[in-house]
Amino acid sequence: MSQLDLAFTLHYANFDFTINEKLTVQGIVGIYGHSGSGKSTLLRAIAGLEKTVSGKISLDDKILVNSHHNTFIKPENRQVGLVFQHARLFPHLTVLDNLTFAVKRCKTPQLKLKDILKWTQLENLAEQEVTKLSGGQQQRVALARAILAEPKLLLLDEPLSALDRAAKNTLLPIILKLQKQLNIPMLYVSHSLDELQQVCDKIIVIEQGRVLKLGDIHQVIHQLNDAHSPLIPQQTSLALPIKSHDNGHGLAELILDDQQVLFIPCENLPYANEYTQQPVGQVQILRCFILANELSICLTEPKNSSIVNHFTGIITQLELQKNKVLVTVTCGEQPFFVNISAFSQQKLALQLQQLVYLQCKASAVRTFIH
Amino acid sequence: MLNADLQALITTLEMAALTTVILLIIGTPIAWYLAKMTSRFKVILEAVVALPLVLPPTVLGFYLLIAFSPEYLPGQLWQQATGQQLAFSFSAIVIGSVLYSLPFVVQPLQKAFEQLGDHIIEASAVLGAGPIDRFFSVVFPLTKASFITAASLGFAHTVGEFGIILMIGGNIPGETRVLSIALFDHVEAFDYQRAHIIAISLLISSLVLLASIYLLNLPKKTSLSTAKKVRSH
Repeated sequence: MSQLDLAFTLHYANFDFTINEKLTVQGIVGIYGHSGSGKSTLLRAIAGLEKTVSGKISLDDKILVNSHHNTFIKPENRQVGLVFQHARLFPHLTVLDNLTFAVKRCKTPQLKLKDILKWTQLENLAEQEVTKLSGGQQQRVALARAILAEPKLLLLDEPLSALDRAAKNTLLPIILKLQKQLNIPMLYVSHSLDELQQVCDKIIVIEQGRVLKLGDIHQVIHQLNDAHSPLIPQQTSLALPIKSHDNGHGLAELILDDQQVLFIPCENLPYANEYTQQPVGQVQILRCFILANELSICLTEPKNSSIVNHFTGIITQLELQKNKVLVTVTCGEQPFFVNISAFSQQKLALQLQQLVYLQCKASAVRTFIH
Repeated sequence: MLNADLQALITTLEMAALTTVILLIIGTPIAWYLAKMTSRFKVILEAVVALPLVLPPTVLGFYLLIAFSPEYLPGQLWQQATGQQLAFSFSAIVIGSVLYSLPFVVQPLQKAFEQLGDHIIEASAVLGAGPIDRFFSVVFPLTKASFITAASLGFAHTVGEFGIILMIGGNIPGETRVLSIALFDHVEAFDYQRAHIIAISLLISSLVLLASIYLLNLPKKTSLSTAKKVRSH
């Protein structure tokens, strides 16, 4: 766990980036925003790569920057690691030499190089030239290298965004596994909310150089649904226990509440084991989401339908947005967000506290990798 | 080759070698500073460094001759420090050569540092490498080819110097009489045979040196191009 105090302004090309937050970084904290919103700048400022910070940054009571006292700790003395969007490996060194570069400069090395090579699946590539590696392999080397410098805080700046889907599938579970094994606090920047939903419990949303939201990942995603100019497609963010990995028909079952289950195509959760990292025997939790446009409302139970998912809930909110209505239906503790046309709302005459049926196809229950 | 010419060759090689070493030591930080500079004064500094490329060597030589003379401050300071006159000495032609060959060392290095960019340097900084460490473990290995080019060009250009040396060094055997001056002497004395020997030796050795530099930079498999490849992934 790390305590990060951020109170600074940074003059940027088009706008000023301003933040004033005391942040407890436990596990992985996500930073979400569109490109150009200033999220990478935030990481660069924490790492010490932005020199014109005006204000204060401190990590666990160690002052990294205090412009009022002309304090500026250089990046090499901060013990803050940074994994860039592109691997930025040293092209004149082999994989192993790239890793030992970090080990040699670590003041009190405790990790075993061999373990990290194993966990990042690089054992067979150690002697390779880094220029001969694929993008995904290069990024694994970059991750291993950053870990081996044994930072107090690891920053990840869009670590997956330059990779193809297969490489993302490999790298994401590795990041999660390393975080759990080594307990390194991480700040994870991405412009993909699906990706952040998989990796972090807490999220900061940045827009136009300001912190727009900060809080629990699911709550923040739901709060973004309310925004008048939504940053993201309106959706329901879920974390549900897996009841069965395959019901024999290619569908997995997630527990919604005591009586109701949610079906999801098996191919949407092949990585659930790696993601959740639960010891054998414990219930595994799958994080998934359903777009508000892909849920629909029935007044009667839709028994005779090919649509496999249907469950009941109570309408707790109705919000008219132009020609659409965002309906919040609460099922137990879990709110679901449904987008219907104003026309349907009029036809069904939906009211608060009304009991309704929600339905969606199994394929509408999505995970980051699907 | 006769003794006098052999002595001129030795003086030339000593001057060129010393000049190259000094140029690498002072040219590297200048090139680094210029590569990282964003201020608009950069163009002025670049122009100052490039001046010897366009200026007649006699212009530079003339001003240096005045500066090195005991009547002016640089010459005075030198005389106080060493007890010897600066003008018409081996030291004078080395200082002159350093200024004259500066762009040949600074420009290739500046270009290499600019091409290398900040990406890999930032990556090494966040891994705990300080500035000196970064230079020797990352920057230098990745720009080695440019250092070889810079050193070779600086050396070759110094060997080929004439105008400045004539102005500030004169023609003192064993001190300031270099090959280009010896050649000039032979021509003036109508000793064309000895002039030919020096001329053809300089021509061939310069050609070989330049061809080697171009060969070194030819198959764009230098460390720099691989650095770019990694970045563009």
